[in-house]
Amino acid sequence: MSNVAPANPLEMLAYNISLEIEDDQIVYVGTGLPMVGAMLAKLTHAPNITMVYESGGQDPMKGDMPWSVGCPFTYRKSPMSMEMSISFGQSAGGYVDIAFQGGAQIDMYGNVNTSVIGEYGEGLKAILPGSGGGNDIGSLTEKSVLVGLMTPDRFPEKVDFITTPGWLEGGDSRAKAGLMGGPTAVVTQVGVFDFEPVTKKMRIKGLNPGMTVEIAQMCAAFELLVPDEVKMVPAPSDEVLTILREQVDPRKVFTKMPGM
Amino acid sequence: MGYRYITDDQLNRLVDFQGAREFHLHKDRAKRDKRMSLSEAVGQFVQDGDILAETGFSYVRAPLQSYMELIRQGKKDLVSIGSPMSNSSYLMSLGLVKAIHLSYIGVEMRGNDKNFARCIKTGMSEIVSIWSHGAMALGFKAAQLGTPFVASKQLLGSDMLKQNPYVKVIDNPLNRKEDPVCLIPALFPDVCIIHVQRADRFGNAVIEGPAVNDIALAAACRKVIITAERIVPEMTIRDASDASIPFWYVDAVVDLPYGALPGCMPGYYYWAREWWEWLVRICTPSQQAVEDFFQYWAHDCKDQYDFIDKLGGSRFMDHARRLMEAAQANIDDSGVSFAYQEVIPKRD
Repeated sequence: MSNVAPANPLEMLAYNISLEIEDDQIVYVGTGLPMVGAMLAKLTHAPNITMVYESGGQDPMKGDMPWSVGCPFTYRKSPMSMEMSISFGQSAGGYVDIAFQGGAQIDMYGNVNTSVIGEYGEGLKAILPGSGGGNDIGSLTEKSVLVGLMTPDRFPEKVDFITTPGWLEGGDSRAKAGLMGGPTAVVTQVGVFDFEPVTKKMRIKGLNPGMTVEIAQMCAAFELLVPDEVKMVPAPSDEVLTILREQVDPRKVFTKMPGM
Repeated sequence: MGYRYITDDQLNRLVDFQGAREFHLHKDRAKRDKRMSLSEAVGQFVQDGDILAETGFSYVRAPLQSYMELIRQGKKDLVSIGSPMSNSSYLMSLGLVKAIHLSYIGVEMRGNDKNFARCIKTGMSEIVSIWSHGAMALGFKAAQLGTPFVASKQLLGSDMLKQNPYVKVIDNPLNRKEDPVCLIPALFPDVCIIHVQRADRFGNAVIEGPAVNDIALAAACRKVIITAERIVPEMTIRDASDASIPFWYVDAVVDLPYGALPGCMPGYYYWAREWWEWLVRICTPSQQAVEDFFQYWAHDCKDQYDFIDKLGGSRFMDHARRLMEAAQANIDDSGVSFAYQEVIPKRD
């Protein structure tokens, strides 16, 4: 028996984020779990990735977990930092390979809402912080990966407000709107999802240990496409978990389960 | 869209390319000693009804002590803009800001800012237009470039287009194929306060770490106040040739050590992290709590030194300096811990 405790759902999320990253890539890192996943990737299978942040931090030296995307750890001994407009210009210009984004709502075509629940005006239920850089990286980056805790509320058939366009109404609607790249994966506590190439509907790609197609379906308010063969995501090795716990997020800022 | 608070003049001034140019043409451009106190600078150059641009990155190199002075002076009817613009939240609930051009208001993973939501829900203030960080950044950059607008690939397909009276989608006339682009106008706020590591008495200013939108904003805004950790001899800046804001943009220079507290200042000090958690996690659910919080931190402080005393005085300040130096790897960080007691509200 291993004496390393199995991954909790947030650690599994971070691990799945890390697996989306390939070595040598330039990675646009957002706040929260994407930071954890990117740092884990760098310390495991992808040591030569370059991280960039929207406040302008570029290629920081390894250090503690940033408190914010503007934290000095995002530009620790950076050769330079960039102005915000230029930082996003890197994505549009083809110098960013992959970016991560969370959202209060993610729908079947990977459209993301970080603006409002209900609608502005009379139908207002809740106001969220707004786009920040989410719309920019999601509109401009070649591959974006969406990150979220999966519940039917958070995964509705249609988001209340498209802050960051995914595949819009599916098919070629995203390209017709003039956008570049697009979401390629969705990472949740249940597993990893992709988008069926023609319809652009969300499809199960791999399930986390212990998860089933039925559980995944219960966590979304729309019908998930199911491939002929559903793969299981292998549990992270003891070595990877130890790196995650001891080096990446030792103070459990982002990987501690609430109430535990 | 019908608006409740913003005037037609405030709405149009933001994108008035000619008007901003006229204003700049008539500014005093003499290279003179522009030093004055914070209260003089804010009193003279931030007027009620101005479009105020937030600078820095909300809580990184942001002019937070100057915002405390705005609160003390009771400015009103301001329109705020910025990417990001998290401080506009409390400026709204304290009655300074009535209307916002929204990009992002929040403190990332520290918690949802319920204060912002309440100000909008109760009609204390209104959202005039909605932007992404990058689209707004391009608007400021267009102003600096001296171009009336830029064409971008941001915002396309998003619902923000329906909530933004300034941007326009057209088919790129230079391309033979269909190619939708979003036209983003050059944005000209009335005033911004930029906190920098060092400046000379004329306003030549040096930014260390991410400049975010501040170089563009210094060029775009009609009025610019520079506050600095250090006022250095002009020759120091000439020797290094590292200024990113030239003196002719600048109306006032304020010698303001610790001017970014309780935020973090590259090269100088790390955040008062607990202060932000206290604000967002404890105080934002209640209007009264926000008012009490800023009674204590703004009205009941005459300057940044009173503020530092409340944060913990020299012990706090030295710890904040050590954390920043360790984060920037300027000291051996092996003995420096970033652990701290997070402010977490008790649940009944």
